[in-house]
Amino acid sequence: MTTILETQDVVVRFGVLQAVSKASIKVETGQVTGLIGPNGAGKTTCFNVITGLQEATSGKVMFDGKDITSKSPFKRARMGISRTFQKLEVFGSLSARENILVAAEQRRAWDKSGFDPKAVCDEILESTGLTSVSEFMVGTLPTGTARLVELARALASNPKVLLLDEPSSGLNEEETEEMARLLRRLVAQGLAVLLVEHDMSFVMGTCEYIHVLDFGSIIATGTPLEIQANPHVQAAYLGAETVEEAS
Amino acid sequence: MRIKFNAKFISAIVVGVILAFVINKNWGGATFLSTKNLSTFLVVGIALGGIYAITAGGLVVTYATTGIFNFAHAAIGCFLAFVYWQLSVKYHIPTLLAMAITLLVIAPAIGFLLDKVLMRRLRDASLVVQLMATVGLMLTFMGITLTVWSPKTGRTLEHFYEQSKGVQLGSVVATWHRIITVIIALLVAVALRWLLYRTRLGISMRAVVDSRSLAGLTGAKPSIISGSSWALGCMTAGLAGILIAPETGLVVENLALIIIVAAAAAAIAQLKSIPMAFVGGLIIGLATSFSSTFLQFGTDWSYAREAIPCVILFIALLFLPQARLETGKVRLTKRTERLTKPWEAGLGGLTMVLIVGAWANGWIPWFSGTNWGERSTVWLGRGAGFLVFGLIMLSLIPLIGWAGQVSFANYAIAGIGAVLFSHFGGQDGNPIGIVFVVLVCAPLGLAIALPALRLKGLYLALATMAFAEFTDKVLVRHPSMLDPSSSGVLYKPLRILGITISTDAADRKAFLMFLIVTFALLFFMLELLRRSRWARRWIAISDSPAAAATIGINLTTSKMAVFMLSGAMAGFAGCMLGLQTGALRVDSFPMFAGLPIVLLLAVQGVRYPVAAFMGALGLASFPAISEVFGNPSWLTQLALIGPGIGAIAMAYRPEGAVFYSGRDLAGLLPWRNDAREEKALLIAKERAENIEKDEINGMGLSRPFTEDKVAQLDRVLSITDAVDETKMVNTGGHS
Repeated sequence: MTTILETQDVVVRFGVLQAVSKASIKVETGQVTGLIGPNGAGKTTCFNVITGLQEATSGKVMFDGKDITSKSPFKRARMGISRTFQKLEVFGSLSARENILVAAEQRRAWDKSGFDPKAVCDEILESTGLTSVSEFMVGTLPTGTARLVELARALASNPKVLLLDEPSSGLNEEETEEMARLLRRLVAQGLAVLLVEHDMSFVMGTCEYIHVLDFGSIIATGTPLEIQANPHVQAAYLGAETVEEAS
Repeated sequence: MRIKFNAKFISAIVVGVILAFVINKNWGGATFLSTKNLSTFLVVGIALGGIYAITAGGLVVTYATTGIFNFAHAAIGCFLAFVYWQLSVKYHIPTLLAMAITLLVIAPAIGFLLDKVLMRRLRDASLVVQLMATVGLMLTFMGITLTVWSPKTGRTLEHFYEQSKGVQLGSVVATWHRIITVIIALLVAVALRWLLYRTRLGISMRAVVDSRSLAGLTGAKPSIISGSSWALGCMTAGLAGILIAPETGLVVENLALIIIVAAAAAAIAQLKSIPMAFVGGLIIGLATSFSSTFLQFGTDWSYAREAIPCVILFIALLFLPQARLETGKVRLTKRTERLTKPWEAGLGGLTMVLIVGAWANGWIPWFSGTNWGERSTVWLGRGAGFLVFGLIMLSLIPLIGWAGQVSFANYAIAGIGAVLFSHFGGQDGNPIGIVFVVLVCAPLGLAIALPALRLKGLYLALATMAFAEFTDKVLVRHPSMLDPSSSGVLYKPLRILGITISTDAADRKAFLMFLIVTFALLFFMLELLRRSRWARRWIAISDSPAAAATIGINLTTSKMAVFMLSGAMAGFAGCMLGLQTGALRVDSFPMFAGLPIVLLLAVQGVRYPVAAFMGALGLASFPAISEVFGNPSWLTQLALIGPGIGAIAMAYRPEGAVFYSGRDLAGLLPWRNDAREEKALLIAKERAENIEKDEINGMGLSRPFTEDKVAQLDRVLSITDAVDETKMVNTGGHS
């Protein structure tokens, strides 16, 4: 198991507000890493720093042993970082198939293995169960399905690391389970997944390792069991009084 | 960070060197450090800058509080200046009272009305629709003003206290008009500041900028706030119009063009800082005054002075910070459509050729006295003109429709293409010249967009409009550009594939047929392109730039490609434009003439290549309608007002006529079972939604439940058997 993605002491400041302070996160290949924390803790900002949508005020982002801190978003994608978004960022006026195809075709810009984008697209449609809606424009699909399209699109660029921002929101129970199964299958194939999620049972059931973010700082890291037992984490989620009682 | 600084540093040096060169080259010989010259420069510059500051300040206030950039700002000011003229000059109402009526009654009324019928609907519309609707509003106001106050009669608005001498400042006389102007500008600045920081309404307005929904929670009424903001915008626009009309003349085009000045100042203010908008206005006023005091442009460049705001806008864009890739702004439209199959596109192209061919041969009834089997050469010539505009519309489809890059410059590019073609190939009747022009116009299209590529879409629209104005005032005005050479003939008849293309009466039908065949081929090519990875990529960067970047798309090069394609197509259209008009004048390509082309295309539906054909038909309809009514004076401005009102209506029907008619009519085609099913579903869905809105009220109380209604209610509430549900949701997405 190797560390594929790492942030080192990342700081993001918006004016006087420090959204992320000295956050260091490690993501290993072949496992699901969770990034949890209360609302406004800076989780999505971390994702944006990793994918290059947000410039870090200071700190480093390392990927595959290289410093990618000053690389533009599309270059990071070409190196193998893919993501989904908290609020849907689908290509609404393209069909579900086209959404995935455009990513698969783009992959040819850096992946010279001579694959056929159309075949890749069909394969992913099949494995995500989207074949039946592939010709519909994504703008007309229900949120849960559109979320799946976003995931399928991220997979089409054949990433080494997949960043998922609240993948279970908008999904029903059955779909959430399906999502968890899909993630386990993906990591079994050697993908690294970093997950931001509010659904705790989903996080505890899927993640091998968890980072907890509160007010922009990492307050705890560990396995799901360790995290559940951590008094700081309980305090962050339930309020400050608990920590006094607990400690 | 370092690299960005360096890029700006280099831009600054380049701009500085070019400015120094232009100033040095055109120095009029006046001594800079003479009290007389300096004070003339300052007095004129500050007075002019004050007016610009007022209009720019108002524009920024409305943009900051409503998120809508009002291209009609100056046109509304122009309309109000004419209203003021009507009151004060025509009806002899005293100056102050006339101003009060114009600015305190009529202007706010227009503002509140605009807010109610248009702007509120635009708030959540896409940028393309926002731009089209406000540009449409600009053309509508211009058209109305030109209709009510015919430009054939000259009108003047006097300076305030025109007879009085003014105040001696050193060796310069500051007229009372200028002094009053400066005082008013200062008062407006103070009043805006006071309003926004010291009044309840102003504080709510500022809160709205930060978060519209949160501001609503604090008890501020959003409708009153946005209404007041538009009223304020109209008042400042009107005030600026009244103050500047004595300087520029009461001429619609001159007054409406002040939008470029306001846009340049707003760009300096980054569209948000009101004090910086005032500074920007002042800079433009001083620059204009500097050029008139110290610079003496040769007769060849006599219009260059009018392009100063355009140049300042371009410079301002160079120094704006790069736009962030924003997330969470994706707008999902519930639009169902399917890709056109290649054979359908072929059939469509063929139909266009057949329709135009039948029309050219007089087999379609038409107005104005031609018999069956005949078509007047006048109308054949007009038809060719509409198709040339149709070609320009085609060039906009990948650019605006797919990549979402709004450009108002393609008519200007076509104009440059027409001029270039007259120099290279046109005068010898050499078709190779067309290839040359296309090859030049492709990078030209890119060059225009370059300063705005890294900025948000609105700036691009501003930059392209400024470029169109710059083209008209500088590029195609130079005598060496328009010199008809020794022969005086710009374009010789062109022979392509045995067809003679010229505007000679005898060749017009052949020219028209050549145009429609090329049009149909380009249409077919675009339909194929829509099915290719290029179009998918462009649509992706338009739908969600952030997501496009995170799947590895290089936004910059993708945009560059589409600008080059669009430029090349506009260049080809330009060659045809030259051949079709046959002659070029200094004022052949005014910026305003290009706008109806863009608007009509948008009204038809800018995503769909067939919209260019419908747009060309739309253009043809204006002279036709006017002819039917016997060309009355109230229809002279139809070519402005028609596209204008059409574009305003996009606030209500944003997708364009082709989409709506396609949805309703595609089912008539025998092979479109899918469209028939789609429509049936849509009707069922609408019915199901309607019951929620209208029919539940009072049901079971004042009206009885019928079995039918119960079933409908069940469907609305999703308590129904599974088969029905998948039908209602229409996707089967849960498999």
